Amino acid sequence: MSQAWVLGQRALREARRSPDALLPTLFIPLFFLVVNTGQAAKIFPGSSTGFLHGQGYGAFQLPITLLLAASFGTAALFLVEDIEGGYFDKLRAAPVSRSAIVLGRLVAEAFKGVLIACLIIVLSLVFGIDIASGPLGFVLLVALTALWSVVYVGFMQIVALKTRSAAATNSAGLVFFPLLFLTPNLVPRDLLTKPMEIAATANPVTYVMEALRSLILQDLRWGKIALGFGVVGVLGVVMVLANVRTIENYD
Amino acid sequence: MNDITPAVQANNLIKHFPSRTGTVEAVRGVDLTVRAGEVFGFLGPNGAGKSTTVRMLTTLLSITSGSASVAGLDVASEPDGVRRRIGVALQEAGLDPRQTGRELLVLQARLFGLSPQDASRRAQELLALVELGDAADRLIKGYSGGMERRLDLASALVHEPEVLFLDEPTTGLDPASRLTVWDEVRRINARGTTVFLTTQYLEEADVLCDRLAIIDDGLIVREGTPARLKAGLREREGLDREPTLDDVFLDATGRKRERVAGEVQEVSA
Repeated sequence: MSQAWVLGQRALREARRSPDALLPTLFIPLFFLVVNTGQAAKIFPGSSTGFLHGQGYGAFQLPITLLLAASFGTAALFLVEDIEGGYFDKLRAAPVSRSAIVLGRLVAEAFKGVLIACLIIVLSLVFGIDIASGPLGFVLLVALTALWSVVYVGFMQIVALKTRSAAATNSAGLVFFPLLFLTPNLVPRDLLTKPMEIAATANPVTYVMEALRSLILQDLRWGKIALGFGVVGVLGVVMVLANVRTIENYD
Repeated sequence: MNDITPAVQANNLIKHFPSRTGTVEAVRGVDLTVRAGEVFGFLGPNGAGKSTTVRMLTTLLSITSGSASVAGLDVASEPDGVRRRIGVALQEAGLDPRQTGRELLVLQARLFGLSPQDASRRAQELLALVELGDAADRLIKGYSGGMERRLDLASALVHEPEVLFLDEPTTGLDPASRLTVWDEVRRINARGTTVFLTTQYLEEADVLCDRLAIIDDGLIVREGTPARLKAGLREREGLDREPTLDDVFLDATGRKRERVAGEVQEVSA
């Protein structure tokens, strides 16, 4: 684990020195938050819309903003740069456990996820969104977002290791992207049309979103929270194992 | 590793790659013995199998069949032990442009198990060795090609390896930087490190290497000291002059110099 931490520190330094890669991560989700809230806030006034639990529509949109912000996976593109530039081989030729090479980046991504989630939530507090589940809810909100970022970048890293191509890795992100929108991101699941409801119910991202949303709009609803963490936990384990397996078979 | 154990040994080393049209036989049965303490040159034309062989010996590529040992350890069954005993500087200077030279060396030393304090001390020693002290805290993306090569060399030395693999270490360097790298190779070898060097520059092999092997089409076609290889060619061809290593290389690989002396093409505007 110490090797993973040493490599994680390096990945964090890399992120700090590439602020240009971080800006879209913040800008695009915040742009969607403002646009979606601006378009639908009048349709769903907080005072008379039950599923908003007394908050504005911006609070309902915050989960998709958090998930979007945690779904850019720039770490996987840095990994492709390492592969193309030869540094990845340098690491592989050292007595570093194969798993530490991929885990280092996942650890760093979790830290970045915490930072990004904190920034967005603090910004949303300034604009009047409350975290109804209190300080513990805030911590869980940040943790769930950060863990999602690990799942997402885990998927992207597998593509990066398989294809060794920045273009293919970017495209893979687009394949994953629709899953973020086949969710109850504009209205609750029971208000979706039947086909969309079926798609959303089958989509694991829905449960992560609903857990995030419950933390923002309601007090601690442990059933929903556990489901969200459960999905992220299972996907996280799958991604970590798949990453380790991919790098161990890398030739 | 004692003096009797070869630094590098390969027995019928084979590497096949799957391709759309079948199988590419990149290395077709390489047998090699590199003695401890020597500078061994590994020459060959582009695509002959040099880098593939080096990548197998450095644990970066799986072996299709045959066996290889480095520093007395089997490459396939004890890859981690091999990695602890080798230093590797590949064709592409494997550096992270977003780190400083010092950060890169400290990280490399930490990965080889040094404590933070020892890693910092070792990085400082190596920066002085490759004369990069002044640039140590600059980001690598601002380094020249020669500086990158020297840093790459330094990063391969953090753990004082028994065997150092250098894959075309001077390709793309200006003459002055090339001479600096040669001096480094001599200095490293004088400290007892075996050097396995691939190069396309025959002059480099002639100047630096105690022994060398020429690979062509995935097979070793010549092996010996530069002097012995040249003498062999002179005797075989009955030459009345001392052949160069270029002549040995061309003879070994079946390639010819293209000479069109006397033929002048007229070019009209």
